[in-house]
Amino acid sequence: MGIINSFLETMADLAAESGFAGFIQDGGWKNIIMILISFLFMYLAIAKGFEPLLLLPISFGMLLTNLPFAEMYHPEYWEYIEGVAERGGGTNDHYIDYGRILQHGGLLDILYMGVKLQIYPPLIFLGIGAMTDFGPLIANPKSFLLGAAAQGGIFFTFIGAAVLGMTAAECGSIAIIGGADGPTAIYVSSKLLSKTDSIGVGTIALAAYTYMALVPIIQPPIMRFLTTKKERSVVMGQLRQVSKIEKLIFPILVTVIISLMVPSAAPLVGMLMFGNLLKESGCCDRIAKTAQNELMNIITIFLGTSVGATTRADKILTLSFGKVILLGVIAFSIGTACGVLLGKLMYLVSGKTINPLIGSAGVSAVPMAARVSQKVGQEEVPTNYLLMHAMGPNVAGVIGSAVAAGVLLSIVQV
Amino acid sequence: MSVNTDLALWLLLKGTDKDLGADTVASVVITGICVVFIGLIILILCVNLYGAIFGAINRRKAEKAKAEAEAAAKQTEQFSPKPPPQPEPVVEDGIEEEVVAVIAAAIAAMGASSGKRLALRSIRTAKGSRSAWASAGIAENTRPF
Repeated sequence: MGIINSFLETMADLAAESGFAGFIQDGGWKNIIMILISFLFMYLAIAKGFEPLLLLPISFGMLLTNLPFAEMYHPEYWEYIEGVAERGGGTNDHYIDYGRILQHGGLLDILYMGVKLQIYPPLIFLGIGAMTDFGPLIANPKSFLLGAAAQGGIFFTFIGAAVLGMTAAECGSIAIIGGADGPTAIYVSSKLLSKTDSIGVGTIALAAYTYMALVPIIQPPIMRFLTTKKERSVVMGQLRQVSKIEKLIFPILVTVIISLMVPSAAPLVGMLMFGNLLKESGCCDRIAKTAQNELMNIITIFLGTSVGATTRADKILTLSFGKVILLGVIAFSIGTACGVLLGKLMYLVSGKTINPLIGSAGVSAVPMAARVSQKVGQEEVPTNYLLMHAMGPNVAGVIGSAVAAGVLLSIVQV
Repeated sequence: MSVNTDLALWLLLKGTDKDLGADTVASVVITGICVVFIGLIILILCVNLYGAIFGAINRRKAEKAKAEAEAAAKQTEQFSPKPPPQPEPVVEDGIEEEVVAVIAAAIAAMGASSGKRLALRSIRTAKGSRSAWASAGIAENTRPF
């Protein structure tokens, strides 16, 4: 009898400690919804091909973090502690107890340190730089203007978020989605947002990557609406050849100028340009290949799963998440529209030699946005190849959104 | 640090502040757009500047090389008699014209890069050699080493 009783007691304890019991507990139903949402994102990544390299790790991180009692991620550890005395005097209101995280944190807490300490996004930029050819931009430096104009989406969305009554940190984090650059969005939001904000880094990352995958659907109607058939039919001539020395000087020059102007953009721009210098130098092939492939893939896994882990039920199932989704698509659309409108202006100023469609590529989703310009251009003139012309604004957009991120970080200080 | 430091101090934006004023938001938007444009316009100027510098250097080099080549051509015309007509290469039966053209082009390219005058005398199938596909496969597999 005693054996049976102890067996039943043990089984009851096990059941009470299992994750299933967690679903029945107070608020446990929210976790079930979140797990279902993670299944939806997995479906979008696998079956629909929505940025699978990032959405799949993010959605799996989302699944892991919402399993009750798995204790892989603890949002409470990331809460800022106010009024902590600094060694050099003064107090720090944004203190995070990393010692506690290292001692008691779960796997995803440890991986998330790379996000919060701003390590992963610059390393991703290193890989992007090693993969990017800035030749089209050097051949046609005017493309920089289109890359700058498309950042309009970021700043106009800031207004929208403020109107909806969000905090400065939330406004900055949502607005940066308009840059169409995942690592930049994560970089800014992880620096600005804290647990007291109604949205998390994961929410911003999910919205950014989902909309980046939707670029081919969001952009073409705006591009067609803002341009005439005649403008879309402009055939652009071939770009000039860029010499190796020009390609070598470019990353060094951009790093120096941008880092001196907006120091808070230095980690992103610096690593982007370092990666590019590795590629262009031609003498560091091994390192350049590692940055492009192995390092980038490893960081993508860490970044994706740990960012996904921040999408806890209490952060997603809120009204603010709806606002992020709404403002995110507005940010993308305004960015596209600003790029196309400046493209139209350049079309007029250049004596009708610039096709305004390349302006939409100023949002930095590389190379998707440039491909969209190419596709919409070919609908009018099948022999028109706008791809390389659009790559100029496209890579300028990457630099532009890193600068915009630096500006946001230096204005919206937390 | 940046041009925005004073502004940020003035705005005193805090992560947890509610109700951003219209003035504050307008300042963020205007400052942001201006800084991005100014930064990228400076880059345009710099890229144009060094593009022009290197363009000029390359042009001068090209002109110099062209002038030298013309002078050399004149000299050879003056001092060397016309070369005797080259005999046609002997081509083995069964080798297609396209193959001959490709081999001739490859030899011409090799001669141009090394600065030597090479002539194609005959083309014949080598006995006991690997097929082109097999050679390509070996080249591919051994390239990393």
